[in-house]
Amino acid sequence: MSATVLFGLCGALLVGLGVYGLIVQPQPLRKILAFNLLGSGVFLLFGVIARRGAAAGFGGDPVPQALVITGVVVAFAATALAVALLLRLFEVSGTVTLRADDGEGRDA
Amino acid sequence: MLTTTPGGTWLVLALVVPVAGVLLAMILRGRHAERIALVLMPAGLAIAVAIAAGVMATGGPLSYVLGGWAPPLGVALRADALAAAMMLTTALVIGAVGVFARANFATPASASGARASFTFWTLLLAVWGALNAVFLAGDLFTLYVALELLTFAAVPLVCLDGRAETLRAALRYLLFALLGSALYLSGAVILYGMYGTLDIVLLSSLIRAEPATWAAGALMTAGLLAKTALFPLHLWLPPAHAGAPPAASAVLSALVVKGSFFLTVRLWFDVMPGVPGDAGAQLIAVLGAAAILYGSVVALRQARLKLLIAYSTVAQIGYLFLMFPLAFDQGTGQLESGAALSGGLMQAISHATAKAAMFMAAGLMYAGLGHDRIADLRGIARALPVTVIAFGLGGISLIGLPPSGGFLAKWLLLSAAVTTGQWWWAVVMLVGGLLTSGYIFLVLARAMGATDAPLALAGPVARSREWITLALALVSALLGLVALTDLDFLQIGRPVAGLR
Amino acid sequence: MSTPSLLLTAALAFPLVLLLACVSRRVRARMPSLLVLAPLPALAAALLAVDAPPLAIGRGALRLTFILDYPGAILLGVAAFLWSMAGLYAATYMRGTPNHGRFTVCWLMTLTGCLGIFIAADMAGFYLLLALLSVGATGLVIHEQTPRAWRSGAMYLGLALAGESCVLMGFVLLAAASPGDGLLIREAVAALPASPWRDLTLALLIIGLGLKAGLVPLHIWMPLAHAAAPMPASAVLSGAVVKVGILGLGRFLPLATGLPEWGIALTAAGLFTALYGVAVGVTQRHPKAVLAYSSVSQMGLIVAVLGMGLTSGDVSAALSAAYYAAHHVLVKGALFLAVGIVAATGARRLWPLLVAVAVLALSLGGLPLTGGALAKYAVKGPLGEGLAGTLANVSAAGTTLLMLHFVHRLRRSAAQDAGATPPAGLLWPWVAIALACVIVPWGLYLWVPRGLVDNAFAPAALWSALVPVLAGAALALALQRWGRGLPRIPEGDIAVVIDGAVRSSIALAPSFVRADAVLRRWPVAGLAMLGITLAIGAAFMR
Repeated sequence: MSATVLFGLCGALLVGLGVYGLIVQPQPLRKILAFNLLGSGVFLLFGVIARRGAAAGFGGDPVPQALVITGVVVAFAATALAVALLLRLFEVSGTVTLRADDGEGRDA
Repeated sequence: MLTTTPGGTWLVLALVVPVAGVLLAMILRGRHAERIALVLMPAGLAIAVAIAAGVMATGGPLSYVLGGWAPPLGVALRADALAAAMMLTTALVIGAVGVFARANFATPASASGARASFTFWTLLLAVWGALNAVFLAGDLFTLYVALELLTFAAVPLVCLDGRAETLRAALRYLLFALLGSALYLSGAVILYGMYGTLDIVLLSSLIRAEPATWAAGALMTAGLLAKTALFPLHLWLPPAHAGAPPAASAVLSALVVKGSFFLTVRLWFDVMPGVPGDAGAQLIAVLGAAAILYGSVVALRQARLKLLIAYSTVAQIGYLFLMFPLAFDQGTGQLESGAALSGGLMQAISHATAKAAMFMAAGLMYAGLGHDRIADLRGIARALPVTVIAFGLGGISLIGLPPSGGFLAKWLLLSAAVTTGQWWWAVVMLVGGLLTSGYIFLVLARAMGATDAPLALAGPVARSREWITLALALVSALLGLVALTDLDFLQIGRPVAGLR
Repeated sequence: MSTPSLLLTAALAFPLVLLLACVSRRVRARMPSLLVLAPLPALAAALLAVDAPPLAIGRGALRLTFILDYPGAILLGVAAFLWSMAGLYAATYMRGTPNHGRFTVCWLMTLTGCLGIFIAADMAGFYLLLALLSVGATGLVIHEQTPRAWRSGAMYLGLALAGESCVLMGFVLLAAASPGDGLLIREAVAALPASPWRDLTLALLIIGLGLKAGLVPLHIWMPLAHAAAPMPASAVLSGAVVKVGILGLGRFLPLATGLPEWGIALTAAGLFTALYGVAVGVTQRHPKAVLAYSSVSQMGLIVAVLGMGLTSGDVSAALSAAYYAAHHVLVKGALFLAVGIVAATGARRLWPLLVAVAVLALSLGGLPLTGGALAKYAVKGPLGEGLAGTLANVSAAGTTLLMLHFVHRLRRSAAQDAGATPPAGLLWPWVAIALACVIVPWGLYLWVPRGLVDNAFAPAALWSALVPVLAGAALALALQRWGRGLPRIPEGDIAVVIDGAVRSSIALAPSFVRADAVLRRWPVAGLAMLGITLAIGAAFMR
């Protein structure tokens, strides 16, 4: 099992954990963390592809690396927005549940 | 397609102008945000018209290669007739929403009011810029970034009033959209791994039908469907669109969901036309048909007007996905651009204008009555006749009565259903029209009910807001007349030269 | 632009301009007095612009074309006259009632749609005007805003939209089978017999247009709507608007090519409707309901004429049907308006009025020397001498019975105050239409050099017209004597089936809402997302 395959499996594992957390965990903060796991898994996959696409002389294909950097920034912005909304929700309502209290659309 | 064409500069301007507006607004702060937005709207409309004229004149797409670096290393912006039509619609709707929102968000009475006003205008420009980026971007990763920008700009629009339930709705929207975009990104990863490029034109010539492509396509499509709120992934839409202020709901329902829909069209028609096959197209249309049936029935049972309109959006989004199997050509095994695609796009445009007008009308009715309970709408037709007429005209476009754009779309799609022999989709469309007429006339009947004394309005309703709502509804109701002109609107769906 | 084309344009444009002018509140307030003028350009066009070159608007594929051929001209002329006189009647009738602004807007919408369809020559224009007509007519039906009016209006609109969906699908099929890009009706219908979807197209068109014309069992909206609308609106709805379905059938059926199976089916449906309308009509109490069922019956007969024309490939059936329909337009309009006048007349002035009404009513059954007899004679040709002809005679007897029943119920509905007189503004339009009922059929018979009616004065013809009338009169006497035991059938007879269907489907809706609550739970939606990913992937693999 070469390094790339190992990292690829690791990335897939992270993606799986992230999706599981995002779907199953009821609390928003855990969902945000799960999203970050998911994002990390996808970026790891990108890295694996960069490594596999390495041409002679380069350590890795530069294009996926550029994409990963952009992706990290996007994920960071997403997390920041989500956390800001969460904090504001806590400030306004005192709880952080996503469950609606007036019976409209019960969701976790 | 891989070089800059004359007229390509307009594409850059279409992105730069809204973004510059956002930055300027953040620097100047306060009331300047509104002024900047109102100045830039006509400019943006002019740019969209210029792009459309350029596409029609050359008969092919405009393209611009950033920095002169050609793909696969560089990034290209491309505008074909599809993109030009969507950009025009966006500019029109955002302009109308801007005029409409001046009363709501113009005079900040308190500190929080000022902050909401500033946020609204800045986000409006941001949504516009992101939508232009979605329509123009020429490779899948730029599309991902543009899509994320769109989501980030749209989410805070939901919770502008700061209440707990809208914050919850916004958070739910954001998290579900993030799940969708993560799936999309993983699909893009796989595609890059297989083919070494993400540029749409290059990818379309390289793509083969194999397991990795299937997986990538499925992941990307599912992610985009989550962002478009296709049944059964619509959980975030009703509370988000109903909880936002009316101007924001108009933009969210009319334009933001069209962004991810447009991406689905790009993916299926331009990147991998031979991959979905008949089964894939039928599956996605089955979800669409379920959305139409389910959304319409649930809309009929709603007690609040804004929720009814939100569920109507859920139903109308289903219509957009009916065009995929109708564009499938059994002979070549590919999705062909043609009458079905034109019909689907016409449906998207007419729904955008009609739904924006309806949300604006609902906002005016709320302002006039102080509530939006459907059962207590009696007397509003006498008090705000222009508003109710605008709502009715928007409804006519949704039902698909001539001469609206909805009718033209329905005609094109029905013709495609007949020529490809797929009767069941024709039946779905006709039944959907009947169900739509059910809830539209339900609202109109309640609104036209008579009260003993003339209704006293709970708050003043500016005439200019009523008239801009009516103007937008008229655009939607008369859009079908474009078929009477020389404009070859079917060109919208023609395959772009050199794309295959 | 030549005069005929100008007249054609004005026929459609003038009501449309009036409609748009209603945006201004002041114009809306004055509009009821202008309603009499709105159809006059159309009347002029019908008289002067027959067989003018087609008028085309727009340049794209969906160009709107308008044409005036003989059947269309006959119907346009009488319909325009009825609309005009009914408009004059309405100006007096609606004075002082609330919401007359809304009434005039709906009136003008219905008027534009109705007159426009008579001259529409392409499918897009036909459908557009049909939709305008339906929406306007719904507004007229629900005008009084009583629960009964709302129910009738909802039934009308729902069925009209369902019918229009069928018509739209039929049009799409027609357009797909017709050569070239255009949507001209003539070309499309000429290509219809050779179309691969011929049967489906015919079925959809007959269902959609038959619904508008009131074929059983699609007639259920007619008694409800025509009885619930205000008096002048009922007159034009029953008089002119139902003819839209007839004209549509005349235009869209490939009469030049004989299609025996379809023709026989259509004739059977028409004759069944003719007899059914009479059977249910005699059980009705309210004069307007009786008239509405009479309209159902008469429309059935006209459809049977078209059906016989389709069977034998007889193109002149369209002209005969138009002639018969034209007579019905005027008579039915006059009878409806008479209901309003009688309701305002006391016992002292009633008898002259009642005699005139009786003559008009009996002319529907074919009283000799009236326009009705001419009309019956005109359709004798297409109907032939076989079963269809016999049943048509039976239906004539039935119509006489129904009309005598109507006159009897009408007498009961006179005003309580014995000395009451109807306002002049109601009476004079009625007199004009009543005169037209006599003049127009005879005028057409004498002027139109088409050999519509060979010899209406022959004794054999007079005798054959008299027999059904006498038979009907005998049945009416029997009804008087033994009619108490007839069952009470509610207006709209089998509409109760629809009520039940609507109720049961409304009961389904809460389960959708409950399902919504489940589907919108986050774990369910998340799993659905994963499920869809897998499903799409599997679909791609095929």
